[in-house]
Amino acid sequence: MPVRLSEERDPELIKQIVEVGGEDLLKCYQCGTCIADCPTGIADEPLSVKRLIHIAKLGLSEVLIEDESPWMCVTCTGCEERCPRDARPFEIVLAIRRWQCMEDETYIPQVLTELYERGHTQNVINPMREELELPEIRSVAANEEMLEKFRKLLRETRVVREHAYMFGIQEE
Amino acid sequence: MKVGLFLGCNMPALRPDTEKAIRISLSSLGVEVVDLEGAACCPAYGTFWSADEEAALAVSAWNYSIAEKAGVDMIVQCGSCYSTLKVGRYKLVNGKLQEINEKFLSKVGMKYEGKSDTKHITDFMYNDIGIDKIRESLKYSMEGLKAVVQVPCHTIRPSNILGFDDPENPVVLKNLTRALGAEVPTFTRDKQCCGGAGGYARSNRKAAMEFLKLKLDSMKEEVDPDCIVVSCITCLMWMDEAQDEMRKLGMIDYSIPVFDYNQLLAICQGHDPKKVARIAATPRDEVIQRILENKI
Ligand code: SF4
Ligand code: SF4
Ligand code: SF4
Ligand code: SF4
Repeated sequence: MPVRLSEERDPELIKQIVEVGGEDLLKCYQCGTCIADCPTGIADEPLSVKRLIHIAKLGLSEVLIEDESPWMCVTCTGCEERCPRDARPFEIVLAIRRWQCMEDETYIPQVLTELYERGHTQNVINPMREELELPEIRSVAANEEMLEKFRKLLRETRVVREHAYMFGIQEE
Repeated sequence: MKVGLFLGCNMPALRPDTEKAIRISLSSLGVEVVDLEGAACCPAYGTFWSADEEAALAVSAWNYSIAEKAGVDMIVQCGSCYSTLKVGRYKLVNGKLQEINEKFLSKVGMKYEGKSDTKHITDFMYNDIGIDKIRESLKYSMEGLKAVVQVPCHTIRPSNILGFDDPENPVVLKNLTRALGAEVPTFTRDKQCCGGAGGYARSNRKAAMEFLKLKLDSMKEEVDPDCIVVSCITCLMWMDEAQDEMRKLGMIDYSIPVFDYNQLLAICQGHDPKKVARIAATPRDEVIQRILENKI
């Protein structure tokens, strides 16, 4: 997607990204090192942290909210290691994801509800355990009392509080 | 030696044979493995970290408080779990700990004091157990086999926060594999990430496979290895399963078996391959057979 400078500018955007963890974004001098060796470089539309930072600095909220590329990140942190300005590009990827989740709740990963349900991204109680002579699993998924506590803890978090219905929580 | 085994999600859910290999090989090395009662997802970068950082730190602190109460450090195999737990701890002990304890853990009667830490299993085996002890535990050897290693990038970066190896020239997994008797050659794309983690393979599978193919082609052409050794459940599943898919799509015409390090260790220690290395999309029988022909 080309960046159109005629687009409406949102002076708040950069502040919002900084607030959710992108504070080092201001250090970026657009050298492009972060995209040089990114695993997504091979895709038709690669994830470019450099470009995302540029969009944020220009205040192009409308462009940024449509851009799904941050979700393509492998989380390899190669960019974080290589950035000559220590702008922490991987943290910026995460910060932009958080900003998108706040602006548009359809970005909130569905898997969060799995975590609320059973403490894990998937069913960790594999029936093969017995055959393999593995001890019974002791994680939160198999401990009702701890699971209740875990859910209670999650209900204190902003994302769960603000989107209670997503997690099947009835308002009191 | 006593350690808490942090299981994460993928290993118990999809590759319990790897969990078996870890438990049994560590116990053969005299390590006492403790289960972490009530541990949850680390949490992964694609979960709370992507929506609400404070929530991610609360879950991280939840896991640590369980380990701390049991009086152990955690060892993990999954690279992503290692990375998020290390980054989580770093952020907690460098400022957020008190706030997270007050806002979240105290509400459920728990607390993390910043004592308990996380180690990657390769770090633990290399630096705490040591190569000599590992060698002494072997009944079979990988002598005559050529193995390349996939160093999980999540265990070497960001190197200012985590890690135990040289990020530019990691040697731990290579030396551990050499200790089993295998030859471990180097190739051009040795250090390339596998591309299997995060949202890449989900949002653009074709590109993620092309990316993996660069690495597989490079190892195949330059060193033609008998197997790939990993120590991360995501590297394991992705490199194993994607190869199968790529063969079906005609993207590759070869097949390189993938093992978790502790699976090979457990086999070399004489444990039953049907228990410790049971699940694979890319067949591994030939490598297992060759190891079992090499009695020490
Ligand atoms: S490497 Fe750092 S300074 Fe260079 S463009 Fe990327 S984030 Fe900006
Ligand atoms: S962490 Fe994400 S953005 Fe950075 S190099 Fe890896 S895949 Fe690319
Ligand atoms: S990183 Fe993956 S395997 Fe590890 S706990 Fe989290 S979701 Fe599970
Ligand atoms: S190589 Fe791939 S799966 Fe393994 S740690 Fe790196 S990103 Fe994760």
